[in-house]
Amino acid sequence: MSDLFGTESWWVVIVKAVLIFVVLVVYTLFNIWFERRVVAKMQHRVGPNVHGPFGLLQSLADGVKLALKEDIIPTAADKVVYVLAPIIATIPAFMAWAVIPFGPEVKIPFTDTVTPLQLTDLPVGVIYVLAVTSIGIYGIVLAGWSSGSTYALLGGMRSSAQMISYEIAMGLTFVSVFLYAGSMSTAAIVEAQEGMWFFIPLFPAFVIYVIAMVGETNRAPFDLPEAEGELVGGFHTEYSSLKFALFFLAEYVNMVTVSALATTLFLGGWRAPYPIAFWDGANEGYWPVLWFLGKTLAFIFLFIWLRGTLPRMRYDQFMKFGWKWLIPAALAWTVLVMIVRKVQSDLTLDRQTLLIVAACVAVVLLLVSLIPESKKADEVEDEVEFDAFAGGFPVPPMPGRQTSTDRTDQTETTATSTTSREE
Amino acid sequence: MVTFWTLAPIMVLAALGVVLARKAVHSALLLAVVMISLAITYASQGAPFLFAVQIIVYTGAIMMLFLFVLMLVGVDASDSLVETIKGQRMMALVVGLTFGVLVVLVVGQGVVGVSVGLGEANANGNVYGLAALMFTKYVLAIEFTAALLITAAVGAMVLAHRERLVPRRSQREESARRLQEYAETGRHPGPLPTPGVYARHNAVDTPALLPDGSPSELSVSRVLRARGSVREGFEGDVGQTLRQLDPDDPTSTIGGSTPRRGGSGRTEES
Amino acid sequence: MIHPLLVSASAPPPIDSPTIQYGDLSPLLVVAAVALLGVMVEAFAPRALRFTIQTALAIGGIVVALAATVWVGLGLDRASGDVLARGRVVAEGAVAVDGPSVFMWGLVLLFALVSMLLFAERRLEGGLSAFTGQAAAPPGSAMEREAVEHRIEHTEVFPLAMFALVGMMLFPAANDLLTMFVALEVLSLPLYLLCGLARRRRLLSQESAMKYFLLGAFSSAFFAYGIALVYGFAGGFGLGDIDQAVSNRIDGQNLLLAGIALMAVGVMFKVGAVPFHAWTPDVYQGAPTAVTAFMAAGTKVAAFGAMLRLFFVAFGGASWDWRPMFWVVAILTMVVGAVAAVTQSDVKRMLAYSSIAHAGFILVGVTGAFVGTRDASVTSVSSVLFYLTVYGFSTIGAFAIVTIVRDASGETTQLSRWAGLGRESPLVAGAFALFMLAFAGIPLTSGFIGKWAVFSAAWSGGAWPLVVVAVLASVVAASFYVRVIVTMFFTEPTGEGPSVAVPSMATTAVIVVAVVVTVLLGVVPGPVLDLAQSAGAFVR
Repeated sequence: MSDLFGTESWWVVIVKAVLIFVVLVVYTLFNIWFERRVVAKMQHRVGPNVHGPFGLLQSLADGVKLALKEDIIPTAADKVVYVLAPIIATIPAFMAWAVIPFGPEVKIPFTDTVTPLQLTDLPVGVIYVLAVTSIGIYGIVLAGWSSGSTYALLGGMRSSAQMISYEIAMGLTFVSVFLYAGSMSTAAIVEAQEGMWFFIPLFPAFVIYVIAMVGETNRAPFDLPEAEGELVGGFHTEYSSLKFALFFLAEYVNMVTVSALATTLFLGGWRAPYPIAFWDGANEGYWPVLWFLGKTLAFIFLFIWLRGTLPRMRYDQFMKFGWKWLIPAALAWTVLVMIVRKVQSDLTLDRQTLLIVAACVAVVLLLVSLIPESKKADEVEDEVEFDAFAGGFPVPPMPGRQTSTDRTDQTETTATSTTSREE
Repeated sequence: MVTFWTLAPIMVLAALGVVLARKAVHSALLLAVVMISLAITYASQGAPFLFAVQIIVYTGAIMMLFLFVLMLVGVDASDSLVETIKGQRMMALVVGLTFGVLVVLVVGQGVVGVSVGLGEANANGNVYGLAALMFTKYVLAIEFTAALLITAAVGAMVLAHRERLVPRRSQREESARRLQEYAETGRHPGPLPTPGVYARHNAVDTPALLPDGSPSELSVSRVLRARGSVREGFEGDVGQTLRQLDPDDPTSTIGGSTPRRGGSGRTEES
Repeated sequence: MIHPLLVSASAPPPIDSPTIQYGDLSPLLVVAAVALLGVMVEAFAPRALRFTIQTALAIGGIVVALAATVWVGLGLDRASGDVLARGRVVAEGAVAVDGPSVFMWGLVLLFALVSMLLFAERRLEGGLSAFTGQAAAPPGSAMEREAVEHRIEHTEVFPLAMFALVGMMLFPAANDLLTMFVALEVLSLPLYLLCGLARRRRLLSQESAMKYFLLGAFSSAFFAYGIALVYGFAGGFGLGDIDQAVSNRIDGQNLLLAGIALMAVGVMFKVGAVPFHAWTPDVYQGAPTAVTAFMAAGTKVAAFGAMLRLFFVAFGGASWDWRPMFWVVAILTMVVGAVAAVTQSDVKRMLAYSSIAHAGFILVGVTGAFVGTRDASVTSVSSVLFYLTVYGFSTIGAFAIVTIVRDASGETTQLSRWAGLGRESPLVAGAFALFMLAFAGIPLTSGFIGKWAVFSAAWSGGAWPLVVVAVLASVVAASFYVRVIVTMFFTEPTGEGPSVAVPSMATTAVIVVAVVVTVLLGVVPGPVLDLAQSAGAFVR
């Protein structure tokens, strides 16, 4: 961890804080436009293209319009909490960025001051992010409760249950990263990925994290808290104007936060991607910011891609998936990593041997999964003659069901019985 | 010191609020304020790990579950204030205050000198220091905490998990049962009718109208009906307006006074 | 200067792995492993086999743990520099494996063994255990009937009891306050759960669990706050560190005294001493009787063991500060327990108040704080250990008899309904009478020797007025024990009278063992008393 943290002059800190804020707000505006354009492309539409070049100013216009709308507080709402909720949701979203490293140490232009491109670093940086985002959940839950509306309440409940459940799986994936990096500080984790980005040795953790981060941000296909078909808009059903805009902002900032965290933990943070990394200057100066934002944008694209292609899950399926698959898988992976680390340090295995072993195991697993399963007994359907009137009322046969030979008799009896009924 | 004197009043006020707030959710929120302030105090005293854990575990998980329960159960009404044992509250107040004063006096007098050893404990960083203790001196205590956690999990399952003793009916069996029921009792096998839609109301609490103009009772949730928060559709606002416009118009009392069962109504049409 | 928040060393020295003497801890580890295996059985074994597997696992595990305890006990060496103590502090100072620890391990294991037999009793409820089939089903609901129809059982009670047992073993052996607190919770939490799982009178059972849980959590909070204050005083959690600080530090006495007081509240709640006894009657009455037996015997051993270690090892130097408090509590406990028991009309409540009175008698021994000078003398520690042995077996036996005196609605605990039991079943009534006599401390029963031991230890410790009060309280207590005997043998039964169900071998064995131990310890107490004495003192 850089020695500069904690000793920098106050104006550097303020400049960095303001810059982070500005970057996040602009990034959000960009992301909204980006999402609309990409989804439009996927649906063979054009998307916003009128205001500004490529329609880039559309989200700015929308934002201004949203802020100028009438602010409604429902009669049944708990006023204080109702007003506080969007603020509680938004502030932690920004606070998490205090420990995200954008780049290495750089010299501030026009001065001699050298500073790391990171507001500050904590020895517990990553779990600080986890802690702060868990406060953000309060905003959503309280919004749901204070609105005094059933839809909002249900949405709030769903989101809190969802975020807590997926936070567990998410936190467990961090453990393997900590074990490899030997630190919980974000800067140290990026430093530790100099040789190899962690998503290669820790691929299962990476996959689990990516799934959990979608659940954590309430995005499709896990956007149950605001499932329009069931809950109108979920926790923010009753919100309008600037308060709604704050929720919107918080959601998008959270999306960027988890993407940035994924970049930091698994994709080498601000380090240049492979072909560019051969250029010596790639990891110096302000270039890393570009790589960092680019990697983050790739995750944002993934979010949008998921939204464009996958239907929403049912709530019970979603919970079952989280608790019965994701968390056990994350636990098993954590235990495996611990064993491997122990073996590595005791038997002094090198990385190559491990990778070969891992590859062998993966190949074996793949081959095993290719072995066709033995035919189960459930194909032996009870071949009872189909009787449309078994229940005392005409029922059409199941799709694909051929009532071959006695088909004519069947129709005849059907016809007769129908007529007999009509009489 | 600055952190302490900023946070201490907030914490004390919030703690008082926990006790005095009318709504349970407000109490829970204020408790969260106390917890977060505590976490910041930990951070300011050089315990960043405790800071993060305090927020994740207490604020993020435990308080959230509290809120969850409070919201689900809906403990909004104030509690019953009847004393089952006469004078109990007074006695509790006196004893509690006495105890509080005693503890404050004793501990207050007992605190002497300055605290030492923080630098030593944090010499290699707070996380390292904690790890060194947890994995050596107190490793057994930490391991036996596992017994506690497993007990808690098993206990939660024992007390709350209801095992399915009869196999769940498949969708197919369910539909067969519905049709059977329809054949026998005439109950509509399809979904219940959706509520009516009026611009003035939230639709869920407004009954739909049947073709003859009477409201369908089945279209509103049973819960809302039990709570008595169902709008009467035409009977209410529209009918009133119509009566005001033309007291003699027979359509203004459309549908009669008792709403009919909407579901069975449809089958009688033929 | 950098804020301490941001300090982190780039290359801190590696942490050496701790040395844990697995051999010395083997009894604990065996029981913990059995508990974990039990949870796995719940998850994977088919329902039909679970009860059998769980019973076998629990009983087998306890037997293995007992063997391990004997092995550990035989291998104890004299502690260096101490005349009486034998054993050593293991696991980086977390656990003291010494004479009293090993004795108490053996004791709770024996109690658990016989209690598990009571848990396994399935004949009295027509092939089902005494625990509810589905705890999640509301009492009296259709779901509950469904559960009975499907004959399902909560076999989780066995692993839960094993977890409680681990806590009971760790609590008196813990050598630092942190381990002690964890052990306290490990011992309490499963018991809270078990209390709420009765098959009959479920509302009463659930209420008892709720009360026990709330009050127990409250007392744990006191204990934890006490730990914090004592840590503030001593600057360490180890009982040895605290002992050092108590002897050497002059300032900060307030912290120490407040800490002692708060921690005393915590342990006194667990032993059920007045004024922290309010939970005892309700919980003893509401809990399934098998659990009551286990809890009454096991928790007392664990809590008194921890109390002795805490106050003799850590606060031994401050005994002039805490002994007056113990005087008051001991007198109150004996008097309230004995007097309140007289007025009870329910057998289980009566036994509960009697257990409070007995806690008072044991406290007399503790208050004596007589450490002894040579090996042979009856010290406070050895007398308390002996009393706990005696009391535990009689209690389990008495509760075992409560489970078999039944009518159509389950156990009949109304004392008036026990009238004429002597005629209905002289054997059962005779056994119960024997336990009553033991509780009363009549010569030729184990209770007499137990009382004699604690009173003599207290007398040697100079607490003779306390002994006088204790003897008076014993007389009062004897009156209600005799009343039960009179009711059983010399009162005409009202109505149908009680009936004694025929239990399976398990319960019969428990009663027989309890009777044999009660008589044997009354007639030839020598070997066990010697064993308790040779357990000696605590290591530091």
